[in-house]
Amino acid sequence: MEAVVTAVFEVLNFGAIMVLVVLGLGVIAGMMGIFNFAHGEFVLLGAYTVYLFHTWTLPIWLGMLAAPAVVAAVAVVLERLVIRRFYAAPVIAMLGTYALGLAIRESVRGLIGGLYRAVPEPLPGSFDIGAIHIAKWRLAIVVITVLVMVGSYLLLTRTGFGLRVRAALENPSLARASGISTNRIYAATFAFGAALAGLAGALVVPVFSLSADLGIRFLIQGFLAVMLGGVGSFEGSVIGAGVIGIMSAALPWAVAPVLADVLVFVIAVVLVRIWPRGLTAGRTV
Amino acid sequence: MARAQWWRPSPGTIVAALEVLLLSVFALLPLALQHFWVIFVTRVLILALLALSFDLVWGFAGIMSFGQALFFGAAGYVVALLARDAGVTSVFVVLPAALAVGLALAFLVASFLLLGRNPPSLTFVALGTLTGSYAGDRLARGWYYLGGQNGIPSIPPMTAGPVQITEGVAYYYLALAFLIAVYAACRFLVGSQFGLALAGIRINEARMAFFGYHVQLLKAVVFSVAGAVAGIAGGLYAFHEGFVWPNMLGVILSTQIVLYTLFGGVGTLIGAVIGVIAIEIVSFVLADAYPTVWPVILGVLLLVIILFRPSGLISLFVPRRTRVGVFGLTARRPRRIPGEVDGAA
Repeated sequence: MEAVVTAVFEVLNFGAIMVLVVLGLGVIAGMMGIFNFAHGEFVLLGAYTVYLFHTWTLPIWLGMLAAPAVVAAVAVVLERLVIRRFYAAPVIAMLGTYALGLAIRESVRGLIGGLYRAVPEPLPGSFDIGAIHIAKWRLAIVVITVLVMVGSYLLLTRTGFGLRVRAALENPSLARASGISTNRIYAATFAFGAALAGLAGALVVPVFSLSADLGIRFLIQGFLAVMLGGVGSFEGSVIGAGVIGIMSAALPWAVAPVLADVLVFVIAVVLVRIWPRGLTAGRTV
Repeated sequence: MARAQWWRPSPGTIVAALEVLLLSVFALLPLALQHFWVIFVTRVLILALLALSFDLVWGFAGIMSFGQALFFGAAGYVVALLARDAGVTSVFVVLPAALAVGLALAFLVASFLLLGRNPPSLTFVALGTLTGSYAGDRLARGWYYLGGQNGIPSIPPMTAGPVQITEGVAYYYLALAFLIAVYAACRFLVGSQFGLALAGIRINEARMAFFGYHVQLLKAVVFSVAGAVAGIAGGLYAFHEGFVWPNMLGVILSTQIVLYTLFGGVGTLIGAVIGVIAIEIVSFVLADAYPTVWPVILGVLLLVIILFRPSGLISLFVPRRTRVGVFGLTARRPRRIPGEVDGAA
């Protein structure tokens, strides 16, 4: 019983982290048709911000609040300078964002000296219910993810800004003709997606500790999650992330870990090949 | 104008001149270099072979492959296993085996990703091949039989009958011979009717399908051929280094090859070779002097090239139009509106 609850919580926890990463990736992919290879580096930048706050002996939670803002600011600058030029060419965008990510990743690697840096959890300790131990911070990650998810959903469906975003997504020419500045919407969306990545990085850094390759491990799983859920839909990203996250956390319990790791990718690619438009195909926000 | 245009070489002549120049430089290079540098240049030649395989799929057929390292590394692992467990090191066995592995694996991947009822989107193929490469890397890292993280060390040297081909001048010429042979074959291929059909697919896939070409099949064929080339490169690399390790399969190498080719110039073959040589040499010199800053500079440099010189270094010498199948089309690419989810891009 205890083992099952612990396992379920582990699965839930990893799924939550995936959802945070994938939401940003999915918003950018759906909106601009860009598969952002630098997304993992946005996660890394978020984590690095928290680490900086830690070295300045400021409270960790303050760093976590600042991280999305910092990453969003960086993203706005990058969008204006670089990403904007890639809108017409999806493949060139992949290469360009990869080069961008390389530059960011190696800069951070130089700054932290190529080592693993530990950051303490802002909420140490765990809830103990009988023999079940649930780390407070891991529970907090799940709660925050749910809040962010609901917040993003409300932002997209219940506000004027969300309406304009959806208009620009659905029919860019018509949106422009109706007086919506799609350029600004794209910049804002890109920053929003990056902020989500930054938040994800900030939240997971106490769990995984900071290293330059922190972001990469989420990137490919993130892409698969976006495609699996269906490009260009909010629910799709959530569902895709959930499926991938749960699969990669749960499969090692069923088959040998070596195989499980690879099996997740194979299953995901096969599913996308069968349903090219994703699980949610069309039925979306 | 005072200077009449008394001699303006055609782009084809310039490319041919570049090829002859590179060929003669590489043929004579070992005479002038120390042992250490011969080994370094051999490595560059083998990577150039891998870059050629990528140029074949992306530069000519327009299939984005982020997974060329998968075929490279898989072939490397297979020949390493042959040498370790079966004691087979003969060049006449291991290199054909490497080729076969690359070909078979690439055909498998292609038949899953490219063939079938619904033709895949460009981005799906790109991400699918990327995933393949990543999965291969993870598998090799976790599998004890393949040596896990450490890979397979101390592969015995390659043999040709009683003679050992060790790293150095002999191996250099072996690699060069393969590079020249593969280059010549690729050149013939892309100039043939098959190559023109590929260029047609790259420019306008739907129209080629209406002409009656089996578009998906042609793509699968060229993808498999490129996989075979990557396989040969992997076999050569494994014996040259004397060990194989998971990074040979991984995403980093796959992406590096893509970027190096882009840097040199896609769709020209010679551009791929030039790109690899240029970056490997600069990287070797600078990585020593500035080990932490260099990767950052490399990233920025590649970004600048992608943004401002999309046709690469080669476009300094020859106009873009020389690329097979481009003709007068460059200026009139249909503009894609951002936000539209791409079908065939």
